[in-house]
Amino acid sequence: MSNPYLPDIATIQRVKPETYDTTSFTLKFDDPGVWERFRFRPGQFVEISVFGAGEAPFCISSSAHGREDFDITVRRLGRVTQALHAMGEGAQVGVRGPLGNSFPLDEVAGKHVLFVGGGLGLAPLRPQILEVYRQRDKFQSITVLYGARTPDDLIYRDELEQWQNLEGMRCLLTVDVGGDGWTGNVGVVGSLLSEVKFDVGQAVVFVCGPPIMIRFVVRDLVAMGFGEDDIISTLERHMRCGIGKCNHCIHGDKYICLDGPVFTYRQMKAMMELEP
Amino acid sequence: MAPSALSAADVRSVLARAMESTAVLAPVRRGRSSFAFQWIADPAEAVFSYPRTILPPKQALLPPREDLFVFQRAPEPAVRPPAAPDPITLFGVHPCDLAAIGQLDWAMQERHGICDPNYAARRAHTTIIGLECLPDEYCFCPSVGTAHTRAGADLFLTPVGEEFVAEALTEKGEALLASAGEKRAPSAEARDTWEHWAEDKESRVSRRLKAQPKELPDLLEAEYESEVWEATAARCYSCGTCTSVCPTCFCFDVEDVVEVGLASGARRRQYDSCQFLEFASVAGGHNFRGERPDRVRHRWFRKFVHLNREYGDAFCVGCGRCTKFCTADIGLVEVLNSIVEASE
Repeated sequence: MSNPYLPDIATIQRVKPETYDTTSFTLKFDDPGVWERFRFRPGQFVEISVFGAGEAPFCISSSAHGREDFDITVRRLGRVTQALHAMGEGAQVGVRGPLGNSFPLDEVAGKHVLFVGGGLGLAPLRPQILEVYRQRDKFQSITVLYGARTPDDLIYRDELEQWQNLEGMRCLLTVDVGGDGWTGNVGVVGSLLSEVKFDVGQAVVFVCGPPIMIRFVVRDLVAMGFGEDDIISTLERHMRCGIGKCNHCIHGDKYICLDGPVFTYRQMKAMMELEP
Repeated sequence: MAPSALSAADVRSVLARAMESTAVLAPVRRGRSSFAFQWIADPAEAVFSYPRTILPPKQALLPPREDLFVFQRAPEPAVRPPAAPDPITLFGVHPCDLAAIGQLDWAMQERHGICDPNYAARRAHTTIIGLECLPDEYCFCPSVGTAHTRAGADLFLTPVGEEFVAEALTEKGEALLASAGEKRAPSAEARDTWEHWAEDKESRVSRRLKAQPKELPDLLEAEYESEVWEATAARCYSCGTCTSVCPTCFCFDVEDVVEVGLASGARRRQYDSCQFLEFASVAGGHNFRGERPDRVRHRWFRKFVHLNREYGDAFCVGCGRCTKFCTADIGLVEVLNSIVEASE
């Protein structure tokens, strides 16, 4: 039996600064055999070890298709993330995963797909956006609404530019506070919802961002007529073990690490001590 | 298997035999009225009668601190699982603590279909000698159905007068019993006391839960907004004593410990407590149980609602430790009973 606490070693292939405090890291397992069983799905997370600093959970932020490595997008906040930010290409970390459930894909075929992201909340949505776009023939339309505090807080800037010019995807950006050189929308991401013209009865929405943003956006989505099962989010907790033993990420009878991190609004509403 | 009789000297020779091949954790007198499970060097250190230890024997299976693995950082990172644990014998485990080990077995080895390798390795190398007891004013084992637990023990001893009635429950228990020499049957008088122990034990318990464990999930959920949580929290210090003395609590935190020289270290887990402020905080500062009443309610809900439903029984064995050692004199049964009364 394999030991679920033992990480596999991976090497940082690429370090890409996204903002002043957020950086994306591309990781590849040193043992290529690990990738064969890794095979993650959009929405899943990994536990990353910086040996000596500790371990922390991160959602995978890269495409689940056509690659043999993966990305995590990390804001410098605590002990592990600070240590990660101090690491460069060629440095090695530990990886456990993939862990948790994933975003529904085949289950939402035939629908309009809306993504609403706030700040770093675009990171867990990115694999799903890329997968939905890759299989865009199966969906009626794809819309990405993304907002951040300031233009300097927008992550994946180069890719956002690309998405705005893609056939088959609508991508709108906004910032809470504009600034010199910003000619785009100003306002919270919820203000972009007025741009949604499709029939919400035939739509599904994936939303992720800071708790306060999720709360307001979900309220608006419900008012627009989205069904409680068609509003899907992903929750971030400090999962220590990732396998349902340490009990740090529980909400009532739900473990974010095992039952989540992806939940529908209906499920979130029923969860203790959570007011989405 | 018919019970046999052992003298106190016989029990000590069973312990001596166990000590030849395993480390032995046994209750030891620590003060005028306090007892602790300790690794003994001599069978004479073990006591045969004690009300309860402060810390449960859980420490032998889920130690307060242990390495999940060791790692090297230089010249390049590598990890190595911990060394296989040495075999151990737990002596003097009361029925409630046997029940608690059964609950931990489920939580650590079976729950969610995921097995904790450290726990499983220790558990597989553990022999358990149970010991019958008589309840004091903090015990409420009959209310949670653990007063007569034998499961988990390899050998079970009931003290009857100067002697013990011994039941071998597994092959390991048989072997231990055999190490005491020729088997002899208990006297008719001893056998009679042994047969009536259960009734006598039940009759001595005054602390009673006013509901069946199976009724508690619905009862507590209906009282989610009860004033009881606020009132209990107003007395609670969030010190975490209740969770650290609990034989069924298993929450842990994980951190890296680096050796001087920084070349190697260990990923270490240690007990954590849902009563601590930081337990449910996440990166960025948000805390999902930042208020004390939330944390207090969480503890009762965890043991009597969620784990109760999932496990099929209260995740509490009635040992009375959390109540006896609570720094604020909060009674676990009293809180439950006030919820039960509020719902009537």
